[in-house]
Amino acid sequence: MNGWTGNILRVNLTAKTYKKETFSEEFARTWIGGRGFAVKILYDELQPGIDPLGPENKLIVALGPIAGIPAPNTGKAVVAAKSPLTGFYGDGNLGTRVSEQLRKAGYDAMIVEGKAEGPTMLYIEDDKVEFLPAGEVWGKGTYATNDWIYAKYGKGVGVLNIGQGGENMVRYAVVRSLEGRSGGRPGMGAVMGSKLLKALVVKGTRPIPQADPQAMKALGFGDLKTVGQIDKETGWSIQGTDAILAWCNEVAGLPVRNFRKTRHADAWKIDGERVNAARVATYGCPNCTMRCGITIHDREGRESELDYENVGLLGSNLEIFDLDQVGSLNYLCDEYGIDTMSAGCALSFYADAIDHGATKGDFKFGDAERAKELLGLAARREGKLGNLLADGSLRMAREFGHGSEAYAMQVKGLDVAAYNCKFIPGQALAFGVAAIGAHHREAWIITFELKNTTRDSYGPEKAAKVIELQRIRGGMFEFLVACRFPWIELGWPLDNYPKYFNAATGLNWTLEDMWKVADRIYALIKLHYLREFPQASRKDDYPPAVWFDKSNVDTEGPIAGKCLDLGKYDRLLQHYYDQRGYDERGIPTKELLNKLGLSKEAAAAEKCAKLSERTSQPQAAR
Amino acid sequence: MKITVKLIGPLIYEAGFSEKAITLPGSVTAGALVARIKIDKKRPTIITRNGASVELSDILEDGDRVVISHIYSGG
Ligand code: SF4
Repeated sequence: MNGWTGNILRVNLTAKTYKKETFSEEFARTWIGGRGFAVKILYDELQPGIDPLGPENKLIVALGPIAGIPAPNTGKAVVAAKSPLTGFYGDGNLGTRVSEQLRKAGYDAMIVEGKAEGPTMLYIEDDKVEFLPAGEVWGKGTYATNDWIYAKYGKGVGVLNIGQGGENMVRYAVVRSLEGRSGGRPGMGAVMGSKLLKALVVKGTRPIPQADPQAMKALGFGDLKTVGQIDKETGWSIQGTDAILAWCNEVAGLPVRNFRKTRHADAWKIDGERVNAARVATYGCPNCTMRCGITIHDREGRESELDYENVGLLGSNLEIFDLDQVGSLNYLCDEYGIDTMSAGCALSFYADAIDHGATKGDFKFGDAERAKELLGLAARREGKLGNLLADGSLRMAREFGHGSEAYAMQVKGLDVAAYNCKFIPGQALAFGVAAIGAHHREAWIITFELKNTTRDSYGPEKAAKVIELQRIRGGMFEFLVACRFPWIELGWPLDNYPKYFNAATGLNWTLEDMWKVADRIYALIKLHYLREFPQASRKDDYPPAVWFDKSNVDTEGPIAGKCLDLGKYDRLLQHYYDQRGYDERGIPTKELLNKLGLSKEAAAAEKCAKLSERTSQPQAAR
Repeated sequence: MKITVKLIGPLIYEAGFSEKAITLPGSVTAGALVARIKIDKKRPTIITRNGASVELSDILEDGDRVVISHIYSGG
């Protein structure tokens, strides 16, 4: 089977056993890899209702047919599990050498089951798996843990690890890899921690199976150069993603003060120009010639890698406009191994809840020193406050009451990324219907909305754009597995990806074939959701209520007096459902599921909740 | 009339400035303003005036703030 190793490594931490399992060609072609493998395995193997932090949850590390090969931005891996933050399927991708090393070791994915007796590190080298004690670094942060691993095995190995946040099961703890970044926002690090799995180290020595290795080599090295060249010519990585902060501030799309405001006069102090000027070093994931990571010195003199989401949610949204202090908050999140976005939203929600009398406390917007202490309390789950913060904004709101859930900035429990959609309906929809909660990775349509449509329109073209991007960003890039930046930021043509896929597998696929897999994945994630939440309703696809709140409108600037309209949003949501072939609850119909080859999965879902036969609307051509 | 131009991201280094006020004689379109700035015109950009997207043919007004950005895709 070209393009795939055909093997999955299954490790049981309770029994300290492992086995190499094979998968069929049909499984490979139906789910491709990465997110596709993860969603299918977890759907088949997890019982609905299990505790995401119990030993019965499974952690998946999944790669795809172009993961790890020397070609543009292929050094990524998907990590997935039932999420302790959202209660259903959750995943994320991160830059890591595990991508290449696990495939060289002979696997396209691994499944980690059970719970270890004590802190454990898994060492995988080709067919060998060792269960090693990790007590020495339990309680340590991700930087120290990574150093400890490198000292043992050298820097060539692939590493995934967790910090104190994962150990203490902070619901938004991430998996970290110093070879890239962090991944698994919906608590994949907490799942590792719940299994007492501190780290996973992989070394592989075999070639990655490819149909045409020569063609792949020629393509790959040439394109790595091309992408690097385009980046240089366009200057994209001078500021990388940080450039967008200044733009969001101009168009009233920046999160400020727990998303209550959309702009701030001091935003320039933390914008891409300032980040670039403070640059200490540049980082990139494996196989990347764009290298978007910019590090700066934080207030304590440590190197901290900033990108837009971190600066937006730990900076402007907390009204902290000292770049080095934002660097410190970001460093702490990375060191503790917690998601910078959800951590930022938990803190901003807390400050807002105090402001609005929903709770009492001593934290105010702009207080960077107290924010640092609070991150520590959350990562250690220290005291009542630490535990509250560690559970994330939605659970805090449910505890505080007083209507505070309206301004817990999340969808399905996952906190909103750093785009303030108070008056950007299409992007609000993109957050509302993102597969795993409000993640920006799946669809981002703000420039499309502003340039090609009117900002206050709620027409079907916005729903169509969200679907188009979900297929590409949340679908293809997540199952192949590769970083989307060469295409989204540099405009490197999308049809390069089927070319790589075909050179790897010997198949002859087009982008259209990719979209079918993407639709299948989106439908199956929805079934995961339905199994966990049989009462699922379209309201679950609404963005935070505060964006519809007329008393929360901007008083000046480009969107003064404006906010989202609930009735119109609901109609936009219906456009999305109609085009997707989902029913009124936002659940795929049996007709669609059969078409996607998911009738078995549909039957499994019907044990928990009823599926609609078909929609009353004609389905969009697919 | 006086227009403030703000550039975003890589355009700053290409044009050699981040933000400046430009005095223009009489009425000028957004396209004419962009033509005066040293940036690669083939590059896809989004141009906004006072926070809302404009066409190159739109006439600018005194006091407008024009922002020119490379088209971002939200990371
Ligand atoms: S562009 Fe950035 S996120 Fe993507 S592979 Fe390169 S360094 Fe990693």
